[in-house]
Amino acid sequence: MDSNKKYWKGLEELNRTPEFVEKNKHEFAEPIPIEEVLSGGGLSAKTPRRDFLKALGFGVGAVTLAACQKVPVHKSIPYLVKPEEVTPGVANYYTSTFEGNAILVKTREGRPIKVEGNPNDLLSKGGLSAQGQASVLDLYDTNRVQDPMLNGSTSGWAQVDAFVKSELAAVVAAGKTISIVTATKSSPSTQAVIADFITKYPTAKHVTYDAVSYTGIIKANQNSFGKAVLPHYNFDKADVIVSFGADFLGTWISGEEFTRQYVSNRNLKSLEEKKMSRHIQFESGMSMTGTNADARIAIKPSEEGPALVNLYNAISGTTLPGSKKLSNTKADTAIKIAANELKAAKGRALVVCGSNDVATQVLVNAINSLLGSYGTTIDLDNPSRQYAGNDSDIVEFIAAAKGGNVGAAIFLDANPAYDYHSTAAVAGALKKVRLKVSFSDHADETAALCNVVAPNHHYLESWGDDSAIEGYYTVIQPAINPVYNTRQAETSLLVWSDNTAKDYYTYVRNNWNTKLLAIGGLSGQAGWETLLQTGFVKAAPVAAGTYNFSLDLNAVAQTIFSQSAKLGEGVSLAGKKVELQVYQNNAMRDGKRSNNPWLQELPDPVSKVTWDNFVAMAPSDAKKLGLDEFGVVKVTANGYTVELPVLEQPGQAPDTISIAVGYGRTAAGKVGDGVGKNAFPFYSFLNGTFQTIAQATIESTGDTFPLSQTQTHHSYEGRNVIRETTFAEYKKNPEAGKGEEEGEHKKYDLWENTNNDHIHARPVYDWVMAIDLNACTGCGACVVACSAENNVPVVGKEEVGRRREMHWIRIDRYYSFDKNGEAEADERTGMVTKEKEIAKLEDFSNVTVVHQPMLCQHCDHAPCETVCPVLATVHSSEGLNQMAYNRCVGTRYCANNCPYKVRRFNWFNYWNDSRFDNYLNNEHTQLVLNPDVTTRFRGVMEKCSMCVQRIQAGKLKAKMEKRPLQDGEIKMACQQTCSANAIIFGNRNDKNSEVYKALQSERTYYVLEELNVQPGIGYQVKVRNTGTESLA
Amino acid sequence: MRNISLILKQFSRSVLLVAGLVAAGFNAHAQADAAKGEAIFKAKCTACHKIETRMTGPALGPQLTEETDDAYLIKWVQNSQALVAAKNPKAVKIFNEFNGTPMTSFEDLSDADVSNVITYVRTEWKKIQEAPKPAGGDTATEDKGPSSVVVWGLIGVIVIAFIVILVLNKVIGTLERLLLNKGGVALVEEDEEEEKAKADRTAIFKKIIKNKKLVFFIVVCGTIAMGSWQWVTLWNTNVHQGYQPVQPIKYSHELHAGVMKIECQYCHVAAFKGKNASIPSLNICMNCHKSVKTESAEIHKIYDALGYDPNTAKYDSTKAKPIQWVRIHNLPDLAYFNHSQHVKVGGIKCQTCHGQVQEMKEVYQYSPLTMKWCIQCHKRTEVNGKGNAYYDSILAAHDKIKKGEKVTAAVLGGIECAKCHY
Repeated sequence: MDSNKKYWKGLEELNRTPEFVEKNKHEFAEPIPIEEVLSGGGLSAKTPRRDFLKALGFGVGAVTLAACQKVPVHKSIPYLVKPEEVTPGVANYYTSTFEGNAILVKTREGRPIKVEGNPNDLLSKGGLSAQGQASVLDLYDTNRVQDPMLNGSTSGWAQVDAFVKSELAAVVAAGKTISIVTATKSSPSTQAVIADFITKYPTAKHVTYDAVSYTGIIKANQNSFGKAVLPHYNFDKADVIVSFGADFLGTWISGEEFTRQYVSNRNLKSLEEKKMSRHIQFESGMSMTGTNADARIAIKPSEEGPALVNLYNAISGTTLPGSKKLSNTKADTAIKIAANELKAAKGRALVVCGSNDVATQVLVNAINSLLGSYGTTIDLDNPSRQYAGNDSDIVEFIAAAKGGNVGAAIFLDANPAYDYHSTAAVAGALKKVRLKVSFSDHADETAALCNVVAPNHHYLESWGDDSAIEGYYTVIQPAINPVYNTRQAETSLLVWSDNTAKDYYTYVRNNWNTKLLAIGGLSGQAGWETLLQTGFVKAAPVAAGTYNFSLDLNAVAQTIFSQSAKLGEGVSLAGKKVELQVYQNNAMRDGKRSNNPWLQELPDPVSKVTWDNFVAMAPSDAKKLGLDEFGVVKVTANGYTVELPVLEQPGQAPDTISIAVGYGRTAAGKVGDGVGKNAFPFYSFLNGTFQTIAQATIESTGDTFPLSQTQTHHSYEGRNVIRETTFAEYKKNPEAGKGEEEGEHKKYDLWENTNNDHIHARPVYDWVMAIDLNACTGCGACVVACSAENNVPVVGKEEVGRRREMHWIRIDRYYSFDKNGEAEADERTGMVTKEKEIAKLEDFSNVTVVHQPMLCQHCDHAPCETVCPVLATVHSSEGLNQMAYNRCVGTRYCANNCPYKVRRFNWFNYWNDSRFDNYLNNEHTQLVLNPDVTTRFRGVMEKCSMCVQRIQAGKLKAKMEKRPLQDGEIKMACQQTCSANAIIFGNRNDKNSEVYKALQSERTYYVLEELNVQPGIGYQVKVRNTGTESLA
Repeated sequence: MRNISLILKQFSRSVLLVAGLVAAGFNAHAQADAAKGEAIFKAKCTACHKIETRMTGPALGPQLTEETDDAYLIKWVQNSQALVAAKNPKAVKIFNEFNGTPMTSFEDLSDADVSNVITYVRTEWKKIQEAPKPAGGDTATEDKGPSSVVVWGLIGVIVIAFIVILVLNKVIGTLERLLLNKGGVALVEEDEEEEKAKADRTAIFKKIIKNKKLVFFIVVCGTIAMGSWQWVTLWNTNVHQGYQPVQPIKYSHELHAGVMKIECQYCHVAAFKGKNASIPSLNICMNCHKSVKTESAEIHKIYDALGYDPNTAKYDSTKAKPIQWVRIHNLPDLAYFNHSQHVKVGGIKCQTCHGQVQEMKEVYQYSPLTMKWCIQCHKRTEVNGKGNAYYDSILAAHDKIKKGEKVTAAVLGGIECAKCHY
């Protein structure tokens, strides 16, 4: 079925718009005007000939003068007293914790340069999110607050302490309350510090709220089972997963952990055992999880509640009052099929919902209870502690502050002036608060309203601990001395509350000595030292109990129906009324890290947009509104209006729009300021929780605002590079969908038979990769990991728009129309698709997606190598396509000739050019660079080196230890961070290696194999578990 | 008379002999005392004490000269802690001055032994004080060979001599002419001859110019010479072989590695562990130089850098400032070089690339550090894989292909781009 399925990266490719066709004629978006200069253009040309000659003359002169320079004097400054554990040139690794995930911090000469997952981490087993990878760059952010601030001016810690203490005393004397407003603090020691602070100041109250909240689930569990907790989900135990708008592989609760669990039922190993889970996704906007689903049904936000009611009815066999058939017939059928499948998989089923509405989540609890999920796929006894925020607390806090009852407000990891739905209310309320303290490490929106800014350490400078799941305790240890004059927030709280422990390290030690070390069977100094090496302790998990839902659902159903009716009332494009869904995107999340250029430039997994948020709209809706590409619309909901460009997003439910939060920061720093628009004000507070959906009016402004979208960069010109099959087909024939018939071309070869040729022999190592398309979720963590490891520059929005992004690895996202398994006659043409097919299948809500990580394929017969006039790119005896930057003269022939379009050209000196003020041109942030990898100069080509520095380091380690190299010892940066283990790297010559075994899989195919370039990266066919019944 | 004188002579001789013997005997007694003391001092005291400077314990010369109460000193040496415990004010004072570091008790030393040591120390200290101080004390300049003053002086002398010779020649010429004038010899003739000769010379020159073959030959030679010069110069642009910058501290590898035979990795600790050989941090210097050559001005540069006060043996980190060595071996950043690969795995001696460092007073760049130089070595050096399990299968695989030929680093891919450039 693969060969007649058409894949396309974007609508422009599908429709073959004139701009797209024009742009793809050229390898580079803007050709160099050489002809103009050399021919008749003369002085009127962009670069006049005389200017050119002047520049040439000056250049030659300057170079000659520069060459007269004597030996440049380099100073070498050794340590005065070398720390014992530091050996110059050798990396040290320290255990720590990033957002509950145990990590390893790689430091060189005492400065952290990379963060990697701890292979023993309970959650993601060595995987790490893009945010975690990018977090190391925040350490060197020059926009951090560098000294404590008192009333807007730089101050010292002694003055700040004196001021805060006297003010706190005054607040207490006045009988006002003190509020400590934080995001969820799952750290036991931080919680204890706050508790101690409250003991000292009894009028203090701890207000926990999360910008993106899970209060709905917590309150529903309180309601249904009397346990106000966020459950721990086990996607690995679920054979059938039905998700209603929960982006559980990406942004929902614990994406990395869920990815690992989810993929374990869909990867190579599972498929070889003929096992694959089934995943059905109902959602409005296309989420990354939706792109991975076996079946995805686009529904409006207003249909979500009624759909859940119908699912409950179908599973329970009862009918809740008010139930009726869904008007969306496709969804209606799908619900019935999903119900049947869920029932069949009782005890191995899981229903999740991304809504923050209590009633909806109660209904989900009821469904899961019917399915016997509690105790198997849902664990309420070892709950997650990642989110514990209570939405009503922050609302009450704002109200109390407004009423003048709050005397002091202390903000820790909380930025309500940006992420509260009414920023005006926050500003107004804080005016009436006497003492306002922000622990923010950036002068963020809330810090601007505070009289004291007591900058917190970056987590890599901190002591501390964390506990993502009950019974799992991880430690945070500093990997560097504080870069600026900052102080850990907990220390500040200890000082202000006159605690006996004067610094937080002592406090953490005491806490672990008395409570936590014993959990891991450790004690004393030796126990602490063991902990610092392993990174965590883990209690034996409590057996997950089963829970039965026994409440009456009639009221719940009533609430759901009335909310749904209100939301869906009068929605139509003609009336310019749509349903708005506010979501988190995979890179920016809640916007706390928006000053991080690595994350800003990471293309969104679905839209492939960088450096912006936008209004996602179904292509048919955009057409109805008469919008051009990236036409700007005015969206108004809940009394808030923004103007944002429209992105035509296949898969978006008609009459709905989606806008991502995390953008529109005004005080994030020079990178994040002014990127996109803030969508938090679209939130509303209803029934005790923040609602992420609303009815909105929409109108075109007639403007356009181009987005830098990478989806159609690096085109294959319609060549089919994706192979896909269904699980049913796979079971019949494991080689299904491999497209073997395409390999029947006569193979032409520029090289002679190489069997006995030394040059192409791989006597010892043959480094190759295997990438499982069925495991890759498209999250993009590998892209950031690669940037961190290989010093890949950030180029900014403008340059991305010119197709000049530098990422060595990209995730290509391909759409295709879901034909629901209908066999079609082979209609292969050179075109991506036929016009009549578009006409027939214009239902853009019905697309399927495949993600394909694309990087240098290290072809054995590499086309780039044969065209390089200076032999800057040649092959190694270990199967690597090597790139010698200093030989490269920048002809770019190699990029032209690369069929995979994985070569990147340095248009500028990104590390020394004031126009690229992102991070590399700054002496301070340059400290994050990996010293084992050169930074590339303007005018040279670069590309994936297969982390050759890691290969060399791995070999050297084995040599020094006088032992053979082990399989799996060398890991690529992209492979290491992948929670899904989609990428396997190794030596193909070793018949016992993981990669050899993976490549022996029946599913393995090579992209563009018919060109006979003999790529070194094998992909495994995507398998979709389409189920037995047609969903449409 | 003669007899008497003989007798007298004999007598006086014997008297002198006896006197001499007695004197010698007295002398011998005094020397034995100090010699015994010296032996004991060297065996037991030098671990913590020096005569002229402070080490773990006080500088003994001034200390023992100021303190004249020998009985107290003997008691102190035999059991200092007893004195401290007895709250002897002098004992307590010095004990506290040295941060409560107790001196080892030497109960095995008799009173006589201790007084021998005291005598020895006092005499030595006297000698040191009486000895004339070396002027300037700058031994380093002597080491340096001819100083710049000498060199310029020599050049000046040569220049002056040259001028004198020129002037003298001129004078001689003038005198000769005067003589000839006086003699009335036809000078005119000579002038004519001179003109003739001049004409001849230009004729020869013209002739030569007309000889096209010769001109061609000269031009070709010139081009070749200039070309080769340019070729060599271009090849050696940015090759700094022999580069020997002046370092902030006059550290001599010849002394440390050559005379003292200290292993290279004692100081360059990281060479066997990783990429950088590492310039030693100053705490390594202080392992020895806390007590060795403490008076040297160069060593004091180390103390200053560390903020170390040799008199109190205390560090003041606020005064610390790093030493800025001038880097000699500048491999460009685009080339990755790992010391441990070469010295630990390859077993290559430091001298192979760095030259006979143990004979260098000041280190200079011995090797050209060009890529050609790297590659030549990779092509010629056989891989040192014996006894390293890592290489077993690799060498076996290569033996299959190469059929027993020499397996060099190049054969294992040691001259491929990405071995050094990434």
